[in-house]
Amino acid sequence: MDDSSRRLQQRRNQPSFSSSSSTGPTRFRSQNFSTNPTKTTQSSNSVPRSNFTTATTPNNTRNPGHIRNRKSETYDGISQQQEEQEAREDVGSIIGTCPFMCPDGERAQRGRLRDLAVFERLHGDPRKTSPSLAVKKFCRTISVKHVQASDVRPLAVLEDTLNYLLNLLDSSEHPFEVVHDFIFDRTRSIRQDLSMQHIVNDRAICMYEKMVKFHVISHQRLRNCTSSSISSLQYLNMEQLTKALASLYVLYEANRNNNFVYENEAQFRSFYVLLHLDSKNQQMEESLSYWFRNVPSPVMKSKEMHFARQVLRFYRMGNYKRFLCTVSSEASYLQYCIIEPNVNEELDVESLCHACGLKITSDDGKNKSLPTKQTTFSIPKGSLQSYELVGLQQ
Amino acid sequence: MAYPSMGEAHRRITDYLNKFCDAVSYQDVASLAQLFSFSSNSPSLLSLADVLNFFQDANRLIKQSDKFSQFGEILAPLFRSLQSYRLGNLVEAYHAFEKFANAFIQEFRNWESAWALEALYVIAYEIRVLAERADRELSSNGKSPEKLKGAGSFLMKVFGVLAGKGPKRVGALYVTCQLFKIYFKLGTVHLCRSVIRSIETARIFDFEEFPRRDKVTYMYYTGRLEVFNENFPAADHKLSYALTHCNPLREANIRMILKYLIPVKLSLGILPKTCLLEKYNLLEYNDVVKALKRGDLRLLRHALQEHEDQFLRSGVYLVLEKLELQVYQRLVKKIYFIQKQKDPSKAHQLKLEVIVKALKWLEMDMDLDEV
Repeated sequence: MDDSSRRLQQRRNQPSFSSSSSTGPTRFRSQNFSTNPTKTTQSSNSVPRSNFTTATTPNNTRNPGHIRNRKSETYDGISQQQEEQEAREDVGSIIGTCPFMCPDGERAQRGRLRDLAVFERLHGDPRKTSPSLAVKKFCRTISVKHVQASDVRPLAVLEDTLNYLLNLLDSSEHPFEVVHDFIFDRTRSIRQDLSMQHIVNDRAICMYEKMVKFHVISHQRLRNCTSSSISSLQYLNMEQLTKALASLYVLYEANRNNNFVYENEAQFRSFYVLLHLDSKNQQMEESLSYWFRNVPSPVMKSKEMHFARQVLRFYRMGNYKRFLCTVSSEASYLQYCIIEPNVNEELDVESLCHACGLKITSDDGKNKSLPTKQTTFSIPKGSLQSYELVGLQQ
Repeated sequence: MAYPSMGEAHRRITDYLNKFCDAVSYQDVASLAQLFSFSSNSPSLLSLADVLNFFQDANRLIKQSDKFSQFGEILAPLFRSLQSYRLGNLVEAYHAFEKFANAFIQEFRNWESAWALEALYVIAYEIRVLAERADRELSSNGKSPEKLKGAGSFLMKVFGVLAGKGPKRVGALYVTCQLFKIYFKLGTVHLCRSVIRSIETARIFDFEEFPRRDKVTYMYYTGRLEVFNENFPAADHKLSYALTHCNPLREANIRMILKYLIPVKLSLGILPKTCLLEKYNLLEYNDVVKALKRGDLRLLRHALQEHEDQFLRSGVYLVLEKLELQVYQRLVKKIYFIQKQKDPSKAHQLKLEVIVKALKWLEMDMDLDEV
């Protein structure tokens, strides 16, 4: 088989393509696909970013006339971006063979270096672990070219690993930050393995949904933690939440067949909308208006999306009564996890008092009180937020 | 089609080759550009393609004479592309065209003056359109469409070639606009940022120097980006610029600008006249405008619902949704006026119940707390 058709094979992922006639290492991903996605996706652990690296300066011409003679004639004159992408695709279609949650080599090495997380230790010994405890760590600087198949976990192993990790969420032995940190890192490694193998079928969708769920729950639970590193954990969690969500949307699109909508798609799309409640959230790169354009119509009309858009509208318009009512009556658990920080903000009687120049005193316990007959009342400067003091009688 | 004789084919091809070389020698950009404007589907180009497909040995002709062979790297892929184009193989046509374009750019860089800019524009346009068609062909064959992305990379290179101190730099805005069109189509709008930065901050560029047509297109796209990001003053400024500088005869373009300018103006409290909406067929905004004038919440919500798909697709839905606040204001104002007429002494106090009643009449169910 000549090179150009080998390249075609890698791009197409129709399992019907016969593998028997291939020469050289089998690089078919067909065994990973149980459904029939008809489009290759961008394998990515992140937002569908194009390969534009020249975009920074217009003067970066990089020898435009130089015709690079790659293997096949049809690809002459290819730009470097395309080349890089192809290189990535060439080498990137690995099929992992590691049967454990952690490759042997890494497990042995980390044991020697005492680099084992609490969950990985055998009887609490920082030097000892076992195949049923060690989980592959996330490695930032991984060069796809040098990766060995034995270090990469195949889909079935990844699924089991993910389920194992998520079961740890219920453990009460360790403070939540520790649990979160471990799962955070190890799930990132799972996503890395998935994208290295270009696994983009509906099993991948299921896994991404679970991982997003983890980040959403963490988003809520981390707020109740008191350690000093919480705010950076929260920031990083939000970062991965948005990245995983973006990848999930790419997966939905890649597997889309005739306007088919995934069972959970509406809810997971609604999360993106709800994340905009926090206007200070700088992780939202794309404007919501722009994002709506690419959401399929049946999803837009779903009750989860409808809910999220309504809630966002009420919040932005300052209609907190409707906001709170709608949230309390219609939000799902996960949706509420995302919304919660904004609910608490608006119930802040304290800040209302402060804004009006009133003083609050607190006794030794947690009770705060507003002394009467204060003369320092003033109209708050700036725009008066509408404070919904729920529970107060007329 | 009557097949020409070999002699006739030979003559036709040599004819074209001469036209090309002469156009370059005499710096006749109009003639030159015509020679590779595939999308024009001109009869002469199409029949040349047929001849090439029949003759099959054009390369020999090119190599035969020094006059032609100096442009061999440009002409050979151009012919291949034209042939594939004629046969409907758009992917092949695109590949060869990109090769042709690359070779052309090399020559272009050696030409000191900017005489060939118009030809370059044609190439930029053609490569985008060809890429779009190639992608459609790929998609319909179940493959992943990535030619348009490649065209984007190529155009970035072209941008780099033009971004220098010489007279060629005025071409950069045209290329930018082609890039915008690509990014909008691909849904990778965030890539516009870096190009915009180059245009707006590089010292070599003086915005006023660019051709008017390109400035209008540029402002239209950057204005739309501002609408997406809900920066209404900036959006107003840019889209208004586009509107005022746009050729009034280009009604389709004016309509496109207005489609985005109207919601922006509405959110700034400026209402368009109905005749404007009628003239440019933008009647989807009619009810919105009416609702704003009347303070009619029910009508606003109804209008948004009726045209929801359209507004979502163009990205103005959230902008229009925000108008609700203004509609409330209008409603309350009207109630105030009515009360004032009835009882001037009590006018400055509006009973909340009155507002609830008015809203109920509009079928908006709200209780006192909410009001």
